[in-house]
Order: sequence, then C-alpha cells, then structure tokens
Amino acid sequence: MSVSPHSLRQDLERTGVAVLPGVLGAAEAAEAVERLWAAARAYRGRGGPTFMPQLDPNEANVRVFALLDLDKLFSDLIRHPAAMDLVEAVLGEGWMISNFTANIARPGARSMSLHSDQALVVPEPWLAPWSMNIIWCLTDVRGDNGGTLYIPGSHRFARRADLPGDPWRQLTPIVAPAGSIVAMDGRVWHTSGANVTAGEDRALLFGYYSADFLRPQVNWNALLSDSTQVGLDAWMRARLGLDAAANVRIAGRVLGERPRSAVEAS
Amino acid sequence: MSLAPQEVRSTLPPPVASVEAGLACLREHGVAILPGVLARRALEEARSALYRAAAQDRLRGREQRFALDYAHDATNQRVWNLLSRDPVFPDLAEHPTALAFVRAALGWPALLGNISANITGPGGGEMVLHADQIFVPEPWAREPQGLNICWCLDDFTDQTGATRIAPTSYRLNRAPRPDEADAPTVAVEAPAGAIVVLDSRVWHKTGHNRTADRRRAGVFAWYTRPIYRQQENWFLSLDPSVRQFASDEMLVLLGWKTTGLGLVNGASPV
Repeated sequence: MSVSPHSLRQDLERTGVAVLPGVLGAAEAAEAVERLWAAARAYRGRGGPTFMPQLDPNEANVRVFALLDLDKLFSDLIRHPAAMDLVEAVLGEGWMISNFTANIARPGARSMSLHSDQALVVPEPWLAPWSMNIIWCLTDVRGDNGGTLYIPGSHRFARRADLPGDPWRQLTPIVAPAGSIVAMDGRVWHTSGANVTAGEDRALLFGYYSADFLRPQVNWNALLSDSTQVGLDAWMRARLGLDAAANVRIAGRVLGERPRSAVEAS
Repeated sequence: MSLAPQEVRSTLPPPVASVEAGLACLREHGVAILPGVLARRALEEARSALYRAAAQDRLRGREQRFALDYAHDATNQRVWNLLSRDPVFPDLAEHPTALAFVRAALGWPALLGNISANITGPGGGEMVLHADQIFVPEPWAREPQGLNICWCLDDFTDQTGATRIAPTSYRLNRAPRPDEADAPTVAVEAPAGAIVVLDSRVWHKTGHNRTADRRRAGVFAWYTRPIYRQQENWFLSLDPSVRQFASDEMLVLLGWKTTGLGLVNGASPV
C-alpha cells in the first residue's frame, strides 16, 4: 500500500482516491467506534433521526449528523494534520469544512444512488476539484461490508455526458484497514456499498470539505451549540465560516478588519 | 474589449417598463433599466432611511471600506447589512419586480448574498472594473451565477457617478484581465426610483462623481444561485426581528429555508 505524500498525490491524480493507512492505531479506531455509537445515542436523544430515507433504502444505514457538536474527538479528527495535508493537496488554500457525518452500514445496508458530490451541486464543466471527502475508516472497509464503491478515474469526467453507458459495471470498492483515512476528489462518482456480511458493522466518518466560495452543506452558525462555539479557536471558526468574513474573497481582508464585529456590538 | 468609445454608448439598451422587456435587455445586453419601480413615496422613505443610516455610521466611525474601492477615495460611502437598518430594505430585497428577475435569470431557490449601499460623494473616485461573479473559478458555466439589482435612490447620471459598464462584456464569460482595467465603459443613467439589473458577468464599476455638491445613493441587492456562500453571514448579523417577521420567500433568500445545503441535522433550519 502506498503511503508517501508523493504516491498519495499520484493515486489522487490517477484514480481520484488515495488511501493512507495507520492514521489511527487499532485501539484508537476501536475507541472511536465506541464514541461514535455514544454520539449516535446522544443525537437520537436530541430528536435527531439516524435514518435518512432520502439517502438510504433502509434503516441498516445509521447516519449521525452534528458530530462536531457531540464529542471533542470529532473536532480533533476533522482537523487532523494527516487530513489537512490531503485536503490542501486537493483543494489548495481556500477551503472550508462543509460537513462531518457518520455512516454506519449494518448488515443488510444497501447502496444509495450513484453520484458525484460536485455534480450534485455545481454546474458543468467540472474541471477542478471544488470539494472532497476525507473518509475515516473506523473499521476495516471492504467490498462485502459496505465499503464505498467508486469509478476509478471518474474525477476526470467534466460533464454528465462523459459518464459511461454502464457506470455500475465499473464500480470498484474502496479497501482499507481500520484506522485509515481515504481522500476522495469531489468529482469522483461513487455510492455506498451494500453490507452483505452476517454480523459486521462498517463505520465510516465523512469529513466533507469544499472551496470557500461554495455554500457549506451545514449551517454551522445554526447547528453548533453555544458551548461548542465557545471552545473553538479562530482557525476553526474561520474554517467553519462562523464569523463576519464570508464570501468576499479578495475583499475579505478589508471586511475582516471591522473594528467591531456584529457580535461585539450586540 | 475592442469597442471605440463612440460605439459604446449606443450599445446600452433603452429604459423599459416591463419585466419581460427587461429580461430581453438582460439577455441581449447583460443590463436592464426599469424606471419608476419605486413610486415617489416609497422612494422617499427608502432614501431618507438610507441617508439616516449613512449619517449614523459616519458619526460613529462605523464606515467600512471595500477592497474594490480605491484607497484614496474619501467621499464615497458604503453602508452594509441594510436589512437590519430599516424595514424598507427587506421590502426592496423581496420586491416582486426584483424577484421576477431573480427567478427568470437564476431560477428558484436563490440566495440573497448581500444588500448594501454605495453612495458616491463629490469628487468620489471610480471603483476597480470587475464582474460580480469573479469568485467563481474560470471557465464559467454558460449561465450567469448571480444577479445584481441596483435601486437608484437618486438620479444616476454620468456626472453623479452612475455605475459604468463595459457593454457586451458579459458575452466574454470571463473576468477582466489586469490589462483590461481601462476598457471603454459607459454610464448607466437612470432616474431615482429606477432599478438597474446587472448580469453577474458584466464588467462594471462605480463611476466618478464629478459634481461639487451632490451625492448619489444606490442600494445593491446581490443574488446568487443557491450553491454559493453568501457575502453577509445573515445568521450572525441579521436583526432577529427581520427573520421573525420574514416571508417564506425571504427565509429562502436568507438561507433559513433550504434544501441540500446550509442544513442543520440534515434538515432545513426552519
């Protein structure tokens, strides 16, 4: 398995996907699974649904939103240095944290529909990555336990017309041991796999990052509780877009120098 | 741009009275001018509210400059976050005529990225020539990604610093390069109460105010397709009462009613 920064970049360029094993040790990955289930219970306790019928065909896929509001562990993972290196390799400097969710595929979980995250949102042509996933494999991930299926090289499809006539036949499972992270270009066409094992859960966290001019999938101002927001440093606040400097890009420097922010004035 | 100055003026569309005619101008010229959208009383209310807000900012030292304005420019004034300054400004943001343009040019849902004022003052300088969708990497999609609707609260004339555009520039479907900063432009003249609708690809800038004693106020409502991050963080800065009494359309424009993006726990915030 390739692990040097150079080979990771090569994998990303060639297939749109790169696997970096060993970011978490076995014990750390196992603990993260425990804390994820605790977060799922806490999320349900708030009234949050962990079954999303618009995404998944049945309840064997367990989704947990609001990870950043539920356990400090997840705030650490979303900004893990190994993840940051891969994010900047794909998106450059101007990026934001768009979402961070979990998808636990329990036995019987089935595929969602084939899509590219970028094609769902952004008009053609798709010539550069404007978003990407860092997938945290908290358990082993394989074809038979619901590993993400993707079309290698599909990040080069600039238009819907570039899709092959039989895209399903080209799907390949991501295979990675527990503790790996997987970088996936936002243009890669993929879907969740089916979990056909008898009794094995497949737990993944999806850190989703997007270019800073795109609207994040999550409205962090509205989602994150006051107690969570108080604990965030300036870097994290900026990456979540919590502050007054919004989509102004070249004008941001000046607008960012407001002597009194809206918060301070209130 | 290869147009000579004398050719430039003739490329502006005439003022029109209907949204339908305005949309035809927008398609053909990237700009539409509709006089009389604000009747006298509504115009006077908006105008007095804006000048009052501008005076308050100036008195308290709250003026905020904009990077695309020239640094030496001391008389022009920007007023930000207008929605929170007076109820007349949400009225402008969701005015039926404005939203008819937004729906036709961008589709629905759309977002209100910003609504702010640009008041030119005597001697005020020009702005840097730009297109409003310059944050989108090129090559741009075939359709405009945003729409800028300018509410003229004073007469926009060549003398008072009317917005200047490089006609037909939107057809190039790209941002101006640094060596095109001096491309020929023409003042989009329009009477107080008019709206000027700009395709987000049109190269434009604030005009030079050459009067000795006149200010000219414009309120710029900037709308985008719903995939782009807003310029103003409404969830941080909006007066809560504006959200409390907002129409469903306004909640969509601000991002509170949404699908796919800007979600909370996988669902719309409201």
